[in-house]
Amino acid sequence: MIKQDINKLEEKSIFIIREAKTRFNNIAALWSMGKDSTAMLAIARNAFLGKIPFPVIHIDNGIDFPESYKFRDDLADRWGMEVIVAKSKIKPEISGYSCCGANKTVALKGVLKEYGFEALIVSIRRDEHAVRAKERYVSPRDKNFSWNYKDQPAEVWDSYSSKLDKRGHLRIHPLLDWNEIDIWSYIKRNRIPINPLYMSNNGYRYRSLGCTHCTVPIRSNAKSIDAIIRELETTKVEERSGREQDKEKAYIMEKLRSLGYM
Amino acid sequence: MSTMINEVTLLGHKDHGKSTLIGRMLMDTHSVSKARIDNAKMMSKRLGRKFEPGFLLDSFEEEQEGALTIDTTRAQIKYRGSAFEFIDVPGHEELIKNMISGASNASFALLMVSAKGDEGVEDQTKRHLFLAKMMGIESIIVCVNKMDTVDYSERRFEEIVGGLRPFLSNVGFARNSVIFVPVSAYDSDNISRRSERMGWYRGKPLLDLLVDLSKRRRSSGDKTLRIIFQGVMGAGDDLKYIGRVVSGSLNEGEQIVLMPTGKRVMIERIFVKGRAKQTARSGENVALVLDRHIAGDGRGIVGYGSRHRGVRSKSIDALIFAIGRIGVRAKIRSNGVEHQCSIKLVNGIDTTTGGAAAWSGVRELEAGRVVINLNDYICVEPFAKSRELGRFTIHSGKELVGIGIVNG
Repeated sequence: MIKQDINKLEEKSIFIIREAKTRFNNIAALWSMGKDSTAMLAIARNAFLGKIPFPVIHIDNGIDFPESYKFRDDLADRWGMEVIVAKSKIKPEISGYSCCGANKTVALKGVLKEYGFEALIVSIRRDEHAVRAKERYVSPRDKNFSWNYKDQPAEVWDSYSSKLDKRGHLRIHPLLDWNEIDIWSYIKRNRIPINPLYMSNNGYRYRSLGCTHCTVPIRSNAKSIDAIIRELETTKVEERSGREQDKEKAYIMEKLRSLGYM
Repeated sequence: MSTMINEVTLLGHKDHGKSTLIGRMLMDTHSVSKARIDNAKMMSKRLGRKFEPGFLLDSFEEEQEGALTIDTTRAQIKYRGSAFEFIDVPGHEELIKNMISGASNASFALLMVSAKGDEGVEDQTKRHLFLAKMMGIESIIVCVNKMDTVDYSERRFEEIVGGLRPFLSNVGFARNSVIFVPVSAYDSDNISRRSERMGWYRGKPLLDLLVDLSKRRRSSGDKTLRIIFQGVMGAGDDLKYIGRVVSGSLNEGEQIVLMPTGKRVMIERIFVKGRAKQTARSGENVALVLDRHIAGDGRGIVGYGSRHRGVRSKSIDALIFAIGRIGVRAKIRSNGVEHQCSIKLVNGIDTTTGGAAAWSGVRELEAGRVVINLNDYICVEPFAKSRELGRFTIHSGKELVGIGIVNG
């Protein structure tokens, strides 16, 4: 995994986050309490001199890890963030692919309808998944949340789309250029608080965090951020290898995303 | 240690092997996980094809089934101390907006030309080269691909080189800024090692050529201060102007000239990445406290050093490329702001010859030299002088219909 220049990456992310805030009145960010969206919030604090000027949405299906809930409440307090909790209900008869689609996306639709957000900051990265690698920095969704990936708007130089459908919204992706290892380098340098589940416990740690039902830990002895960075320098294993929903069948990520998943 | 990444865009006609080449380089440099390779193998098998390295990039169902690239994607490799980010782009004519989206920020390009009997140099090959030159790409490696289909013939290779040279010089590429290499991307000939099947080729394999290019010195850049204002944050006493220093550096206490108004303001405080700083450098996003308010939110204003006379214009001489339909009335977006304008064609430019054409209007998928007239002043400079201030996009409604650069 290639380590990039985190100063340069941060500058571009700041530019994109500021563009979103400047061009749209009503925006919000998604926060899963994972490493990427937490790093994004730290960048947003730098972009706006310490105070995040938009609400942060946690899509809560009620089965996130207890550590994640505590982490959310502590950091929201410390950074003075306005957190909107969008509750979704897990149905025991639905699992995996359908679960993410049915729960997270439905809850997100509810919160967007209630608050009328025009743009949502989502912390996906190109190196996570070949389908996410096809994304734009600013990507329109229609009123049904569909991602029309076969006809994405042009995005030339640093001129981003403003193609906002009636009742649709834009997804803003300020972390698209970052690699997993860059996120950890940034967390280390800026001493960003991090969900404890990423650290090894009895020989296992979470490398990518979803909910308790479909995330499994990887074998790892990395108990510090330095150790995680060392692990990533040599790994040949995919980051989302512990995410069950990615594996069920072919083109699953593409289908999930075209229906509105992150 | 972090690595400087060289962004390299692929160029070329559909099916000449752009995705396959990147897939091959990912594999030859061990830059991709076994899981992704296994997945690409499984998908190839499921579709009843031989293994396609391009499936490491072409991830959409429609792309794999149709064996085409629909949208741009990126993949990174590290090789002999240099790092590259390859930008894969579609080669289909109707997908040119996706090609431009991918290629617009690249520092150099890899052009794929298939040596196969009925393929060779096609219109789209030339159109991509024209666009690359227009968007500021100076160096190109031309990969003459599918050499296996022509029995590794030196004659066929030379035929393609000879056929392309006049066009390259027509669109302005210097002879020594273009390198040709014969390859077979699928079989890995001349990719990481010199191919024994092409003993007549005396040059280096592709990856070594890329390493050489990455080590070439780039111009150190212009020292002129230019800051593009993005808007404001906060309100009242806490109001700050945000923007990006695109060249030169900015100091606390310095007076700057704001264009197009020509007003002068003093920089009282500078914040970079959330912290107070005395100086901001090129590439940094700043939040500024000024000694007085400026009208509106400042978006689109350009700040220069106090001794600079500043530039502004209501009429621009430009080179444009039409992605969609461009009429006489349009909008251009420059420094983040859209302006109504009229676009008058001076002469068309046929992107497949590089030569002038006597058309009555701007044609789709072709270029033109134009004069753009605006109602208000905007702040632009020739592209050759400032990348950021010398480029603009053309819009009709919510669609981006073209790109342009300001002539010197």
